[in-house]
Amino acid sequence: MFHWAEHTGELELEIDAATEHGVYQDAVRAMAELLGGDRPPQGRPASRRVTVAARDRPRLLVELLAELAFLAERDGFVPDTLEGLTAGPTALDASVRGWIGDPASLVKAATYHRLCFEPCDGVWHARAVLDV
Amino acid sequence: MADLRRVDEVVWEIGADARADMRVPARVFADGRLLEAIRGDDALTQLQNVATLPGIVEAAIAMPDVHQGYGFPVGTVAATELPDGVVSPGGVGYDINCGVRLLALPLTRRELGERKQALVHEISRRVPAGAGRNGKTRLRPPDLDRVLVNGPRALVEHHGIGLAEDVEATESRGRIDGADPAEVSQRARERGAPQLGTMGSGNHFVELQFVRRLHDAGAALEHEQVTVLIHSGSRGLGHQVCTDFVKRMDAQLDARGIVLPDRQLSCAPVSSDDGRAYLAAMAAAANFAWANRHAIAHAVREAVRTVLGDRAAAGTRQVYDVAHNVAKLESHGGRELCVHRKGATRALPGQPVFIPGSMGTASFVLTGRPKAMDTTFGTVCHGAGRALSRTRARKQVEGAELRRQLEAQGITVRSPSNRGLAEEAPFAYKDVQAVVDVVVRAGLADPVAELEPIGVVKG
Repeated sequence: MFHWAEHTGELELEIDAATEHGVYQDAVRAMAELLGGDRPPQGRPASRRVTVAARDRPRLLVELLAELAFLAERDGFVPDTLEGLTAGPTALDASVRGWIGDPASLVKAATYHRLCFEPCDGVWHARAVLDV
Repeated sequence: MADLRRVDEVVWEIGADARADMRVPARVFADGRLLEAIRGDDALTQLQNVATLPGIVEAAIAMPDVHQGYGFPVGTVAATELPDGVVSPGGVGYDINCGVRLLALPLTRRELGERKQALVHEISRRVPAGAGRNGKTRLRPPDLDRVLVNGPRALVEHHGIGLAEDVEATESRGRIDGADPAEVSQRARERGAPQLGTMGSGNHFVELQFVRRLHDAGAALEHEQVTVLIHSGSRGLGHQVCTDFVKRMDAQLDARGIVLPDRQLSCAPVSSDDGRAYLAAMAAAANFAWANRHAIAHAVREAVRTVLGDRAAAGTRQVYDVAHNVAKLESHGGRELCVHRKGATRALPGQPVFIPGSMGTASFVLTGRPKAMDTTFGTVCHGAGRALSRTRARKQVEGAELRRQLEAQGITVRSPSNRGLAEEAPFAYKDVQAVVDVVVRAGLADPVAELEPIGVVKG
């Protein structure tokens, strides 16, 4: 489950998921909402292989978000779902299904500000601030 | 939050002893009302975080439009002393050299008359706006390299885009020395190269205005004169340069023994390999941003030509262009400093400064005063400054309704996104008049003119 927390300047993404993989699934859903906007998918179906690495889980989440921001800007790729996910503490590999079209908005960057990704009270909690 | 001490009428300060990790005070320019808004989010904590940067001198300084950002709050000036003071990519921001350019047309609002709608429409047709729109100019890799090194001058000399006198009327003549295209990643090139001459989304715009009030009779503007204000930056190219270097410097923080309260402040000494490489890449992105606004200005002139004729296009001159997201190496008080301006505008004595209002409210032309050199490293504010989040703004008004309200005020609106329009609603921003009043009362700048919007093309 994800939601956008109050942030005056940017967008603050908060995720609570039952599993570590669930955090990544929700991160893709959040980017789908942001990049796709309120309208239904439009354009041709497409998928992109995403392989990222970082020195810890929080930075790995930033790498995933940054990759999706890049694909949206370069290719017009709007993500929908994450498939075939394998992820450890420092590496992630998955296929992202979505569509190629005209994103409703773009994301400049995923930042390290207030970044976290950790187990908390029986769930996995993550937070990332996006510059939009 | 530590208590703010009032220093004078419009200056407040949190002492350097408020936190063990602060190296200098955190100083805020604001009146009482703006201060309440500033206290409403995390901006002051973020300002104290900036005060911890290695090598920072004097104070971490917030302008009256400051608001919560990431790492640095938006509306901040921070100077670090060379050679070992740090440069922080987050202290410039992802939109490197986001800035504003003002054009003055050779006619009054009355003379423009009924042709206003056609002009706004023609500008919207010629300046791509919104997410991922590509520009009309295709830059091959060597063309892009020339732009990264020489900024808008490369467009004039090699592509016949824009005028040489526009380049002269640009901060630093549109070129920061030391740009190195080799420090700009392939990914940054892929994101940005197709976007030259595009506005982007968010708070970027091209606004048609007229001079409603002239404070300085000697100014290069006339009462009722039509103007165009352009707000854009370095697009995906700059965003990726910042992303690359935040990550690169973050990876070396432990090795350099730098401890920070927020890893988005990641930084490296200016004298280090990473510091020098960032400044070379940032300069390239800044030059690209000036070229971007230059290409947009060229498109605006062509729109003027189409709607108002050749004489009007030939008489459209650039007043100035100034950055508000950049780091520069400057001398102040006999010290060599790296001055970070994040959502803050350089304001040298006599230099024009443009302060855009929120959509539907006035923008301001100011000139810097000598006191700014003594107190803010020659810097003033950059806009009204957000007061409400985008989410909250969208909850309070729908884009279509806002469009109707603006049209009812006599402002022609062109925007590809109702959602984006709602996020930029005027009530989501502080009172720009109050922000400008603080800057003037503090003696940082003199008022020159007020510009009232009559049309806007939003990203």
